[in-house]
Amino acid sequence: MKNLMEHMGIEPERLHFSWISSAESTKFVDVATKVTEAAKSLENKEKKFAKTKPKVA
Amino acid sequence: MKVIKIDKTDWAAGLEKLRESYALIGPVKEKFYHTFKTLEPGREPDMDYSNSRISPKFVIYPQSEVILKCSMDANDPDYKIFKEPEKEYKSKAVVGIRPCDADSFPLVRRNFDTEDYKDPYWLRAYETTTLVGLACNNPCPTCFCTSAGSGPYSDESLDLLLVDNGDHYLAKVLTEKGQSLVSAAGWNDDAGDDATEAIEKKKADAESRIQSRVNTENLAGQSLLDLYEADTIWEKEAFACINCGTCTYVCPTCWCFDVQDEIHGNQGYRIRNWDSCMYPLFTMHASGHNPRGTKLDRLRQRFMHKLKYYVDKYENGIQCTGCGRCVRMCPVNIDIRRICNMMNSYDPESCTCEVTAS
Amino acid sequence: MNSYTDKIKEISKRLLKEDKVDMVVGYRKGSVPLMHQPYIAQNEAEVDAFVWDSSCGLNLANYITDRTERIGILATGCNSRNIAVHLVEGKIKREQLYIIGIPCKAMVDRHKLAAMADGDITSVEEDEEKGTITIKGENFSETVNKADVLQENCSLCMHRNPVIYDELAAEEVPEQSTDEIDPYARVKEIEAMDPDEKWNHFDDLLSDCIRCYACRNACPLCYCPLCFVDESNPQWVGKSMDATDVRTFHFLRAYHCAGRCTDCGACVRACPVGINVRDFTKKLEKDCLELFGWEAGLSAEQRPPLDTYSPKDPEDFIK
Repeated sequence: MKNLMEHMGIEPERLHFSWISSAESTKFVDVATKVTEAAKSLENKEKKFAKTKPKVA
Repeated sequence: MKVIKIDKTDWAAGLEKLRESYALIGPVKEKFYHTFKTLEPGREPDMDYSNSRISPKFVIYPQSEVILKCSMDANDPDYKIFKEPEKEYKSKAVVGIRPCDADSFPLVRRNFDTEDYKDPYWLRAYETTTLVGLACNNPCPTCFCTSAGSGPYSDESLDLLLVDNGDHYLAKVLTEKGQSLVSAAGWNDDAGDDATEAIEKKKADAESRIQSRVNTENLAGQSLLDLYEADTIWEKEAFACINCGTCTYVCPTCWCFDVQDEIHGNQGYRIRNWDSCMYPLFTMHASGHNPRGTKLDRLRQRFMHKLKYYVDKYENGIQCTGCGRCVRMCPVNIDIRRICNMMNSYDPESCTCEVTAS
Repeated sequence: MNSYTDKIKEISKRLLKEDKVDMVVGYRKGSVPLMHQPYIAQNEAEVDAFVWDSSCGLNLANYITDRTERIGILATGCNSRNIAVHLVEGKIKREQLYIIGIPCKAMVDRHKLAAMADGDITSVEEDEEKGTITIKGENFSETVNKADVLQENCSLCMHRNPVIYDELAAEEVPEQSTDEIDPYARVKEIEAMDPDEKWNHFDDLLSDCIRCYACRNACPLCYCPLCFVDESNPQWVGKSMDATDVRTFHFLRAYHCAGRCTDCGACVRACPVGINVRDFTKKLEKDCLELFGWEAGLSAEQRPPLDTYSPKDPEDFIK
């Protein structure tokens, strides 16, 4: 999944997979922060796979 | 009707003048085949093409078109009230459309413009479009327009017909729209007395080069139910069919659509998309029952509609102009010529038909 | 491959005569060049319509899904692999099938030849000894090496001989090897691009898509009773020509084929506008090979990697 997403041009920073137990609150915070930061680092990039209005006639 | 002469040296300049009052659309080669595109300034239509893969019906009837819009903002007094979107219908000219494709518009109009219902989107687009046809001197081997109510020089549905005559075009001005267009382009050289004759000669030559045909003379007289039940025709053809939408989407005369709602942000859109009778969802009922549940049902529907129901309802020939696109594009070679000839020759007594190799 | 036709007819007639099968699935000659039609022969007379040459590039495994009859079927390497996939996935039973194996000499690319021709192609001739294809039209005649006009998937094929069959219609053909060609060269080219270039590549690739679903419907893997793009409750994908929706369809369809796709090329062959949708599926094929050592359809017993769990499955993408 991740490979194909990246293959067609989704930045690796946008897609994260983690295994977090319900007991690992600190890991959750840590991952959420890192994910947010990674995605934010792409702020200037064009959004992909986002539909804002239909491109129709 | 008058005939004018357009020197090819005046062609590009005329087109540039036209851009002041028309959006120009014409055939261009992109990737490896021709398609109709809006021609940006400086870009000329490629008048040396045979035909486009996708028919130019989308110029008037886009594959996806917003027909209504509404506000999805709960504070807006017009919340969820659908309204027609503001849309500019600028004058357009399709330059280089083939006569068979132009002949599809009056045919489709029988569906979109009736006494009871008038489709405003289709009609507005149609009325603001000028069709500048390009006569076919080199028909494709799959063309059968002459037996499908059209022809390589058919001018009934055009505003202007261009005939390539070496270093110039002979242009038959057929309607007022056509006259306005040639005036706007500044093309007004009289073609002389023998122009009509020259066109007729080329026309006869082109028509004689159409090699394939369909036989339609018995279709109206055939019993609808007999044809419907003619498994000899349907079973073998349906086996190969993969039920994709290629035939219907490349066809200039297929008019069916589906309506979908989409919401983006605070805007709701009602969108009309082409649909295809080949798709199982086309007839799916809300109950889950599908009256055309098998691919045989769907394949039969397409051909019965074009070659029988339409024939009976409008008494104006078949719902096909013989462009041959479905014949060329079908991934599994389902050939409307073969099926039409089978339907035309079907004998319900013996349950047989003539199978011609088209 | 024309020489195969007689042998195919002979076997098919025998099977029908001896009542080993109820029908044989093959091709009959199409009404336009390069396009043959999948066809069922249910009696010996109908077998005479059969043809076999370099334009039989669809996948006949697509035509046997969920059928109940006893079926004879022609199967090239990739077609036989898709039959194996069907067997694993329970779409047909082995005992229903009599597989006539066709050692495949590769198919020609109809889009490539059409682009090459100076006008409409009216006839195609193949010289098997010289390995050439001659296309003719009204004002042209051009002879090319068949090897230069193959469907891309055929030129990269490593399994030309059927992997599962009851009888072969000809002697096996030599297989290509990865020493001579790199089947993933194109995938690697895309992999080397940066994300925006990749994105634009696929945007351009899909820009002509008309959503006719010919790629999906020509694919033997796409047998879902209701495809996710057709589902309306919930509706996963918009149905307009919006580029996001078009891409969602292609991306997810490809993903559903991961570990099952045999790169038969039927999708590309069927596409009316010649989109190389294999740019999606070939990447998945490469991943399956690298991550799981898996090639689809080589076994009629083993389930595909995305359908099973093994403790050895790679998991380094999970952080």
